[in-house]
Amino acid sequence: MTVTKAKTDFDADLVRELADLLSETGLSEIEYASGDLRVRVARVLQPAAVHGPVVGGAGAASALPATAAGGPVREADALLDHPGLLTSPMVGVVYTGSDPATPPFVKVGDAVEAGTTLLLIEAMKVFNPIKAPRAGVVTRILVSNGVPVEYGEPLLILE
Amino acid sequence: MFQKVLIANRGEIALRILRACRDMGIRSVAVHSTADASAMHVRLADESICIGPAAASESYLNPVAILSAATISNADAIHPGYGFLSENAKFAAMVEEHGITFIGPSPEHIRLMGDKVAAKRFCRHANIPVVPGSDGPITGEAEARAIAAEIGYPVLVKASAGGGGRGMKVVHDPDGLGQAMEFACAEATSAFGNGELYLEKYLARPRHIEVQVLADLHGAVIHLGERDCSMQRRHQKILEEAPSPALGEEERKAVCASAVRVATALAYRSVGTVEFLYADGAFYFIEMNTRLQVEHPVTEMVCEVDLVREMIRVASGAALGYCQDDVRTSGHAIECRINAEDPVTFIPMPGRIGDYHPPGGPGVRVDSALYSSYSVPPYYDSMIAKLIVHGPTREVCMMRLRRALAEYVIDGIATTIPLHLRVLDAPDFRAGAYHVHWLEKFVGEGQSGTVPVATD
Repeated sequence: MTVTKAKTDFDADLVRELADLLSETGLSEIEYASGDLRVRVARVLQPAAVHGPVVGGAGAASALPATAAGGPVREADALLDHPGLLTSPMVGVVYTGSDPATPPFVKVGDAVEAGTTLLLIEAMKVFNPIKAPRAGVVTRILVSNGVPVEYGEPLLILE
Repeated sequence: MFQKVLIANRGEIALRILRACRDMGIRSVAVHSTADASAMHVRLADESICIGPAAASESYLNPVAILSAATISNADAIHPGYGFLSENAKFAAMVEEHGITFIGPSPEHIRLMGDKVAAKRFCRHANIPVVPGSDGPITGEAEARAIAAEIGYPVLVKASAGGGGRGMKVVHDPDGLGQAMEFACAEATSAFGNGELYLEKYLARPRHIEVQVLADLHGAVIHLGERDCSMQRRHQKILEEAPSPALGEEERKAVCASAVRVATALAYRSVGTVEFLYADGAFYFIEMNTRLQVEHPVTEMVCEVDLVREMIRVASGAALGYCQDDVRTSGHAIECRINAEDPVTFIPMPGRIGDYHPPGGPGVRVDSALYSSYSVPPYYDSMIAKLIVHGPTREVCMMRLRRALAEYVIDGIATTIPLHLRVLDAPDFRAGAYHVHWLEKFVGEGQSGTVPVATD
């Protein structure tokens, strides 16, 4: 995060407030000016950790080998900027319900409390619940039952 | 043979293993942290999986993440490379418990040789000389004083779980012993979670001579000659060569036979390196590395063998298929480790590579995951390339090395290439007359301006 200021009376609270606003809104830059004071806060957005299918593969290397990306990533890129995006905290296999016979934990449109289990991720036979970090409404589920996920892979959107 | 190998490492060694797999028609799975999403081993692998954030403790050192990646990608073997989890016995055991082959030695061998005190005891029993010192861990300062008085100062306080020079202190007189033990214990506790110490005689000008061994699952054990790794700074190897310019045929035979004896006594499997100090005509066992080593290409160049391929082959259960007499060495090889560091202060200098041009021509090999516009991340080891040069004689090898170092362009960051050029010009190096403390003195001189810095 870089901060530039025009005047010497440094207002840490203002910067902190702007920085919070920055993360909250998912913006990459905010410039604020009032009288002689000018503050710009900016950040580098987390680059896409994952592109395309998890166990993808670059296939044949071209002149300079491309990243495993290159496929239909447009939508994923847009989603990565979404402030309500939850990403996978580990590599493993995702489950939408506790077993195939029971309905999924959540579906699109559900309102959930903070702490509600949304998904399970199995890593080495341990099932790790993915819980809602805050209350909200599930607007997108980006994974299906039983698929492998990488660290950082988009899971769902909670608004 | 394996269908698919997961490479649990990064950088040049991940690429080296990937190349061996491809040469053998085996599919490869790269694992990587978020910081390595555009790394060359990820770009070239058949499949890639992000296993965690930049911090190694949560990615390359995370056994669960790596095993999980192996499971979802259906890999039937894991190659650990060097560093990270390569000498973690618990990880090796976990891999096998999951029905996946660990391409390396057995967990028991990793555990035994990872405990430096137990390793020395094992070798003493196998009649391999070790550096004089305490028979086992020392319990207190009084005991340390008694042992030090017996073997004579200076002595070295070392951590049982140590490595890479951490948890290691030189003591010149009884007064310094207590404090050195405190320091070493604290350092080892924070670095390895184990503060156990032992004592060794400090040799003033020893050479570091190590022997490459290779064993299959059926009891065949051979050696592939020695490497001289005496060019070190803070116990980190900087340059390695084979054969050692310090040994005659008799000494060479003796040290290689000792190494084979250690591996045979262990009923060892896979590749391994038995390390010795060589001083006043005698060899002393110091430790055994139960993994592929950074400097393995030096041996590959003089023996014309692909060690990574052999390692994968024997792990799959294949018999070695040749014996000691079939191994021929030819010429001389030198490897320079090129680090992203200031060549004078050794401060790490990660950053973005601009132009990149690796050297070529007769006898030249570059093992590196660098490419033009690649950013060297600040989270991992500073070694970014290995330049290995072969020649029919040491003289020709040094000439080729100078040519290759001068050709090598790594623009945008500071590297240790200028240091290697200076070492190459030093009369002691040219004569092959250096020891493990030589380089530290040499760079000390350099900083005071008495040694000219080569420009290109």
